[in-house]
Order: sequence, then structure tokens, then C-alpha cells
Amino acid sequence: MLLPTLAPMAAQLDAADAKTLISQLAKPTPATIDFSEIRFSPLLKQPLIVSGTLGYQGSTSLDRHVTRPYRETTEIRGDSVLVRREGEPERSFGLKRAPELQGLLSAFTSLLAGDHAAVEREFTIDAAGDSSAWRILLAPRDARLSRRVKLIRIEGRNDAPRCFSIIGDNNGASVMLLGATAHAELPKPVTREWLERFCSQPNE
Amino acid sequence: MKRTAPAIALLLGWALALLALGWYVQKDLVVGTDLRLFLPSPTTPEQRLLLDEIGEGPASRVLVMAIDGAAAETLADSSRAFASALSESKSFRLVTNGEMSLDAVPDELLGYRFLLSPTLDSQALDSKFLHDQLQTRARDLASPAGAMLESFLPRDPTLELLKVLQNWQPMQEPHRLYDVWFDADGKRALLIAETVAPAFDPDRQRAAIDELQQTFRSVDTSGQLHLTVSGPGSFSVLMEKRTRGEAQALGTAATVGMIILLLIAYRSIGSVILSSLPLASAGVAGLLAVSLLFDAVHGITLAFGFTLIGVAQDYPLHLLSHERPGSSPLQSARSLWPTLATGVASTCIAYATFLFSGVVGLAQLACFTVASLAAAGLSTRFLLPRLIDPSGRDLGDSEFLGRLWRRIASLPRPRWAGVVLVILCVAITALVPGPMWENDLSKLTPVPHDLLMRDQELRAQLGTPDLRYMLVIEAPNDEAALTRLQSLDPQLERLKQRGAISGYDHAARYVPTADRQIARQKKLPDAATLQQSLDRALADTPFRSDVFEPFIRDVEQARKLPPLSVHALRQSPLGSGLDMLLTEHENKVTALVTFAGVNDTAALQQFASSAGPGVLLLDLKSASESLVEQQRTRLLWSLGAAALLLIGVIAISLRDRRRVLRVLAPMALTTLILIATLHGAGVPMTLFHLIALILAAGLGLDYALFFEHAAEDPHEQRRTLHAVLVCSCSTLMVFALLAASNLPVLRAIGLTVSLGVISNFLLALLLTRETGTGTPALPVAAGTPAPGSNLAEPVDTKRLSAQVPTSERHDQRPSLAATSTDQEQPPISSLVPHQGSMCLLERVIDWNDDSIRIETDTHRSPSNPLRSDQQLRAVHLCEYGAQAMAVHGALKSRSRGETAAPGMLVSLRSVSFHCDRIDDLKESLRVEATCLQAGAGSLQYSFRISHAGALLAEGRAAVVLER
Repeated sequence: MLLPTLAPMAAQLDAADAKTLISQLAKPTPATIDFSEIRFSPLLKQPLIVSGTLGYQGSTSLDRHVTRPYRETTEIRGDSVLVRREGEPERSFGLKRAPELQGLLSAFTSLLAGDHAAVEREFTIDAAGDSSAWRILLAPRDARLSRRVKLIRIEGRNDAPRCFSIIGDNNGASVMLLGATAHAELPKPVTREWLERFCSQPNE
Repeated sequence: MKRTAPAIALLLGWALALLALGWYVQKDLVVGTDLRLFLPSPTTPEQRLLLDEIGEGPASRVLVMAIDGAAAETLADSSRAFASALSESKSFRLVTNGEMSLDAVPDELLGYRFLLSPTLDSQALDSKFLHDQLQTRARDLASPAGAMLESFLPRDPTLELLKVLQNWQPMQEPHRLYDVWFDADGKRALLIAETVAPAFDPDRQRAAIDELQQTFRSVDTSGQLHLTVSGPGSFSVLMEKRTRGEAQALGTAATVGMIILLLIAYRSIGSVILSSLPLASAGVAGLLAVSLLFDAVHGITLAFGFTLIGVAQDYPLHLLSHERPGSSPLQSARSLWPTLATGVASTCIAYATFLFSGVVGLAQLACFTVASLAAAGLSTRFLLPRLIDPSGRDLGDSEFLGRLWRRIASLPRPRWAGVVLVILCVAITALVPGPMWENDLSKLTPVPHDLLMRDQELRAQLGTPDLRYMLVIEAPNDEAALTRLQSLDPQLERLKQRGAISGYDHAARYVPTADRQIARQKKLPDAATLQQSLDRALADTPFRSDVFEPFIRDVEQARKLPPLSVHALRQSPLGSGLDMLLTEHENKVTALVTFAGVNDTAALQQFASSAGPGVLLLDLKSASESLVEQQRTRLLWSLGAAALLLIGVIAISLRDRRRVLRVLAPMALTTLILIATLHGAGVPMTLFHLIALILAAGLGLDYALFFEHAAEDPHEQRRTLHAVLVCSCSTLMVFALLAASNLPVLRAIGLTVSLGVISNFLLALLLTRETGTGTPALPVAAGTPAPGSNLAEPVDTKRLSAQVPTSERHDQRPSLAATSTDQEQPPISSLVPHQGSMCLLERVIDWNDDSIRIETDTHRSPSNPLRSDQQLRAVHLCEYGAQAMAVHGALKSRSRGETAAPGMLVSLRSVSFHCDRIDDLKESLRVEATCLQAGAGSLQYSFRISHAGALLAEGRAAVVLER
């Protein structure tokens, strides 16, 4: 597990503080966030890196626009997902078919809404740090989801999340760098360890 | 009820025999529910297919389900839970909710994906193709959906399995929400379940539907959700439940009503018990016959059979009503028997025609009817009389009945009324627009309209196969069928594009022909080549090179696989859909092409006719209609033959043309009236109306025969009136109850027979008797002495001088209040045994010890019982004379303070008549009787009858007194 390798944080936050923390993360809608996603998979020689913008319009409406290295748009509306990629036919499927996506969506949107209760419903919350540098660990409650998604880790400073990591089964993982962090310079090859260190840095 | 030892022994013996037989029958009795037994036997291939389809076909086993009562997401969850809970069930071949789960595909079939997928038709597994695919997969992996693919990417990087599964989805896909099927509004989650049991097996269907409900309740933890199940199977279960409920209610009501009626009619509990014995015998005999000759009794046969017992119960009723102290029950039975037997024979003949109708259910019905009616008739004739107590009351004495009879007899019966009625009926039948016959089998269904509508709507939402049209292709084997189907694909696609159909489905969509599979197989590269291509393709993709080992293994294996046969696919859970579409017979295979949403039938027909030999477009509706029509034609012909037979039987039994006509007239007229009424009311007739018409005709014949047979004896007439009244009331009661049923079939029969009973009763009363009374001089039915017959031969009015013995017995009978003449003399009716209209004399003018003079006007009365052929012949003046003698004797005895001794008229001598008829004489008749000689046990009288001073008749009579 990756947890033991994390740099030790300042004191664990109790529930009330976690609540305050999460509610501070609320962003007004509509919100646009730059992102850069690094995808790790046992199938891959090196991680896949895509970047673009995330559009957040409300609790069940999320857009993911990939602009580099190719163009792709994923629209999530309610429970259906529409994927458009240049040079390929459109595809749509239901959210229930993609539990990780579901996990991402609910975690992400609940955080952006500052809705502690919603997060609490779907995940067990484990928060640590203080307002300047904090870390939230979410473990899915739903059995089906937890088979695919082991853990969601969100690290940030003040009221901005910087890294949003989904640790899946079978050694796969996806790390999203958000906001300003998205434009950070990444080493080649980028490794998980590097990203962990990067995300948990208290300053910068 | 006779209390003697032999009678009680017989009663117990009979009851025990019935119980024993009854137990034996019900032990072995199998009640079948396959409604196809009541459909005619198919003669054309189209019809044969139709019947297979109705019972066994794809659409008929599909139950459509809807879940509502919560938000869409919850419904979707419950839909999934429900489907997975049912996946293990043995009652269902297939349960889907639209979820296309890759996990559902068994391992063995995964290997076949390359042969099943159309990719290899147009594409080789070369490095370029693989490269493109892998690039896309890489991007897929980076997309939010990536993790879904991750697990099977190593095995199937080109996603062949997904393509196969998509191909297997119905063309007209229902609306999807949360990945499962929903209706267009998103308010109901939709599912399909295909039962193992055929639609026409209500028992197993019920078990399956119960299982659905139970499983649903276990899945619905909130208790707020609501499951709707719709489909032929659920309808037949619903109808069976209703029918059973109704049958029970009906049976109870009928039994209670019958008991009450019997108690009112006969005022003895014994009568109720006695009349139940032949009925029970009838029931047991019917069941026994059917269970011996057929494998199973159909529920409908049972139901009909028991209503037919309404006919059988008439027999003991007739016997009971004809009971009188004078003759023993056995004698009554004997005298009734010819009429009874004719009635039984004619009804049996009518129903025996069903044996040749070609419908198994109707043959069962015929068997049941003949056996039960024969049993009822025979037990009434031979067993019941021995149990009846001969000292009951005589219904022939009932004054109420006498009045009723007189009132009816005095009704005007103009000939023209009958003719007008006939013309009216024929006119209505011919001129009222609208179909005469109901050809649409679906109209016979008792399923409520709203349920049918809902079912249709759900099916439309789901895009389930059209229930009416399908293509049938016959081929010698599986492969040939698949080849043929494949060849039709391009044309079917065109039809779909033109919008003539929304989609189609056939076996070749699931299993390509072996040829095609082998062609694809040949295109698969060998392991080395594939490895090379893959390595080249992987070069500038982010994938590791060792990851796709499983893929190479699968391809290598696929190269060696034998083509997937229909048989192999059938075994798998995915093959259940295939069973419906491809059926194996002994030496051929039938393949079906089902359609979803047929919009242009003409285009479809054109396509079918140009598709070549062995392809048939099956229109279930028109095939079923032709079936019904054919059956009906056959039935009508056999009914025609039965009618001729019937007329023959009655002619033989009655021997007089006029009597035969009188007996047949009410039945014929009633049938006309019923047909005209039904047609005039806009009710097209079905098979069940025909059955009802036959039943009503049989009843009419019974009534007419009995009324006709009652001849002239007023007592006999009253007894017959009582019997027929009770019979018709009881029959009317049973069928009126049926007419109140919810089921259209029972309602049709109930209404028709009820109307028929009323019409037959009235017409039989009116038509069998002529205006006035019958002559006592008509020859009677072969061998039957008419009760209370007077003269045995027609009398020549001019030369009556021989002794003409009479058998009239002047018993002392209690005289009931009758018309009294207002004299200081006691009313004549109290002096003589003749009562009612048979008391011919009215006023005593004067009398002394030697003679008596009486005046009367009864000769002019139209209800004079001695009238015949609309006149009163002069020969009956003898009766006037004889009655005058009796009055004289009674007055003499009374004046002496004695009661008049009964006397028997033993001879008439020197009788001369001076006229032919007396009913047209305007004034009163004067009857004089003079006692010539009074001996110890005999008297001699002379009598004279004159009118307005002119002598009409005179003669001498001798009376022997009884002690």
C-alpha cells in the first residue's frame, strides 16, 4: 500500500475540522479547472498523459475536455456518458457501467460543491493536515465500487485541491493534477513515487 | 320417497355405486387446460404453423414486465437485482433487462468471437489494423471509461466480443436509462422473461408467474415498487382464476336455486333428493365416459358439461310431475318413456355431430353429453320410479294449473302471427348490416380490453417481435436454413431502411453459416504471423509488448475450432433466443424471421412472394380466421345432417305429419328468432352461440314433445304444464346465471339459451295445442295408451248402434271449488265427477224420481274439451246424456240422504243423431234423461237432447253400479 510511504503530515484532523475543510473547498458554478492526468496501468510501458480542462456545471454535470495530445470530450450528464473523439464515432454508455468514473464523479463534484454530507454518504473520510496543506482519503463504501477503486486521495493547499488520485485495483492508478499544478513540469519518465512526493509537498 | 325395504336398498345401492364410480373417476381424472383442444384441427401448413405458434411460438412465451414506483435510478437497480435473481430460475429460459454484461458470456463462446464477429469479413488482422485498434485502446484507457476495458484488453484488444454482443442485441432497441431498458417516459423499467412452459399451460404459467412475484418481493426491500406482468401466459392464468371463481359462484347459486325451486314445486324434500340421483348419475357417467375415451378432460368440457346437466335434470322432473295416485310410478315412467326417449335421442343426435367436427374439445363435449343424458334418461326410466312413493299428491288436480292452462288455451293464435314472425326474422337476418359470424379468435378471449392494450403498449416499447406476421422458411437442415436466412439479409435490410419494418431477427444473426465461419477462420493469421504483426503494431503505442499473450493464444485456438453449430449455441444461456427462431423437426428445420414493428404489410408480402420457394409469410390473424371459418362450415354441415336425422327420429316416433310439424315448429321458430335477435343486436355469432342454439333447440323439442303428448286429458295437461314449467324455470335460472358472467363465452351461451328457453316454452305451449282441444278420437303414439282415453276409435255419426265400451271410471274424487250454477240445487259440479270444462251440464230445470231435464250452453264454448277440428261433433251428445244420467242419480241419492254410488257406463244402444255438429247451435241444449229400469246393480236410461224444439240425438244407455 502507498499509505506508509507518504510523508508524515501534521496532526490528523477530526471530523468537525474535516467538515470545515471540505466546505471550504466549495467552488461557485460554473467552474473551469485545468487538469493534467497521468494514467498508470500494468498494460502500459509508460504512463499516458493527457491534459485539458474540466468543466463543472453542477452536481451531475461534468465535462472533460482533453486538448493534448489529442482532442476528446467526455460529457457526463446525470447518468449517461458521451465520449467524442476526433476521427472516431461517438460512444455513449451508462455511468453504472463505469464504477471508477462514478467514483470520480461523486467525489469530485461533492468536493467542488463543498457538500460534506454527500461525500460522507459514498465514502469513509480520513482527513489530515491543516488548512495550508491537507490530505483527504476517501474509501468507497459501495462494495462494487470498492472492487475497482481502492482509494481516492485528494491533496491540496488552502482551498484549492492540487492532486486528485484514484488508486484502482490491479496496480492501476490515475493521478489528476488540478489548477496551477496542471502546468507543472513533469519528469520523463514520470513515476508514481515522484507524483506522490510532489503532491504531498507542503509548500510551493 | 318410498319407505319399503327394496326401495331403501335400491337408494343406498345407487348412492354407493355413484360414490364408488365418482371416486374412481376423480382419482384418475386429469383436467387439461390446453386451449388448443378447442381450436379446429389444422389442415393447411399455414394453419398448422399457426397452432404451433399460438401454443409454442416465440412471442407467446414472452412475458413483458414493468417495474415502477420509484426514481429511475432505483428502478434500474431493482431491475438489475431482479434479473440476476431470476437468472438461476428453472422456469425461465431467458430474463433480460437490456444489460449487456460481458460477464454473462461463457468462456467457451469467448473463443468463438472471431468467427462470430463480422470484422474478419472485411478486415484482416494485419499490423495496420492492429495498430489503429491499439492506438484507440490506449486513448480509451486514458479516458474515464478506461478502467472498464482494462481487464479484458489483453485478451481482446480489438473488442470483437463487444461487436458480437452488439450484433445480438435486438435491432429495435428499447430506450435505455442507467444501462437497462426503460419506457420512453423513463417511469418504468422494462424486462422480458421467456417461460419454459408454453402459453397454453396455465398451471405451469401460474407457477412461473408466482415465482416472478415472489422473487420480486424479495428484491424489493422498500416495499414501494410495483411489478406488472403481462403476456399470454399471465392472461391465461388470470382467466383461469376468474373462470374458476365464477364457476364456483355459479355452481353454488345454481344448486341453491335449484333446491328452492324444487321445494316450491313439489313441496317435499324427498323430491329434491330423488331428482338429484339421476343428475349425479349423469355427471358421473359423463366424466367416466370422457376419462375412458380421452387422456384428459378439458376444463371447458367440464364447465359446459355441467350446464348441459340442466337438460338432464328435466327427466326426473317430468317423472315427478306426472306422478299421480292412480297409476304406479313405473306405469307413469312407461307411459312417459317414448316421449322422454325421443327427447333424449334428439339431443344426443344433435351433440353427436360434434364428434365429427374435428375439434377434440368438442368431441369430448359430445361424449360427455351423450353419456350423461343417456344415464339420466335410463335411470329416470328404470331406477327412479322404484323409489318414488306413489301416494303423493296429483298435480293434475291443481286448480291453479287448470286456470293457467285454460287461460293459455284461450289465447288467440292467429295463423298470420306465425308467418309474420318468420318473415320478420328472415328480414332482420338478411337485411341488418354487419357480419353474421365472428371469425376473429381474439374476440373470444375473455381478457379485459385494458389489459390487452397495456400488453400491446409494453411490447411496442420493448420492440418485441410482432405477434401477427412472421416469415417461415423450411429447409432440410440447420445449415441450409442459415444459408437461406443469410441470403435474405440484404433484402431485409432494404425493407428496414425503407421503413416497412423497424427491425427483424433470425437465427443467422446469432450463428453465421459454417461456410462463413470457416471463411473467417481462414483469414486468421497463424501465431507467428500474428506475433510479428502485433510487434510491429505495438511499436509506437504505449503498450507493453508482452501483454497480449492471451490474445495470440485465443486467435491460435480459434483457428482450430470447429464451426459453432446451432446445437452448441442452444446449450448455452445465450442460445435460448435461438430456440424460438430455429426449430428442428423430424426431417426438416423450420426457421422463423420475426419482425418488430410492421408498418407496410404490402411490401412485406411482396418480399415474401419474390423470395423464392420455401419462404412463406405467415399472417397469424388470417390463418386463424380461415381456421375458424373452416371449422364453422364443417360444423354447419354436420348440424344439417343432424337436423335431418332428428326430423326422421321424430317422424318415426310420432307418425303423424301434422304432429311432427307441431312438435318441430316451436324449435324451428325459436332458432329463427334467436338468430334474428343476435344478428339484429349486432352480435356476430361464434362457435359457442352455435352450441347454445343447439342446446336451446333440444330443450324446445323436449317441451314440444311433452306438450304434444299430453293429448286431451286435462289432468295430464296440467301435469305436463307443471313439469315443463318447473323444467324451464330451472333451466332458465341456470342459464340466466351464466348470462351474468364476466366471460364473453359464458355470457353468450347464457343469454342465447335463456332467450331460447323462454321462446320455446311459450311457443311450445301455443303451437302444440290447437285452438280448443284435441279430439279424443285421434290415434295416439305407438303403443302408448293415452291416459284417460275415451273412445278408442272414430265414431261414425250415423250408424252408432253397436256397443261402444268406454273405460271411463267415475271415481269419487274430492271436488275442488268450480264454477257453480246458481240454483237452489247444489251445483252440478258437486254432483258429478266431471270437473271444470268437462262438466258439460249447467242448469237443472226440473227433476223427479224418473227423469231429469237439464239445460246447457257449453256446446258453444270454445274451451269445450270434446271439441276437435274447430267443431263439436254431434257424437258427443252421448256424453251429455251420460252426464245427465249421473246428475239424476246423484240428486236421487242425495234426496235419500245417501251418497251416489259410482257407476260405469257399459253400453249405448239405438243411438241416433239428427245433426253433424252442435257447436254452431245458437240456443241452449235441452238434455232429458229418463230412467227406464232400475235394477239392483244396474240402471237403464233413455236420453234425448234437443235444441230449440228440434231433436238432435236420442238413445239408450245402461249403467252398472259399483259397490
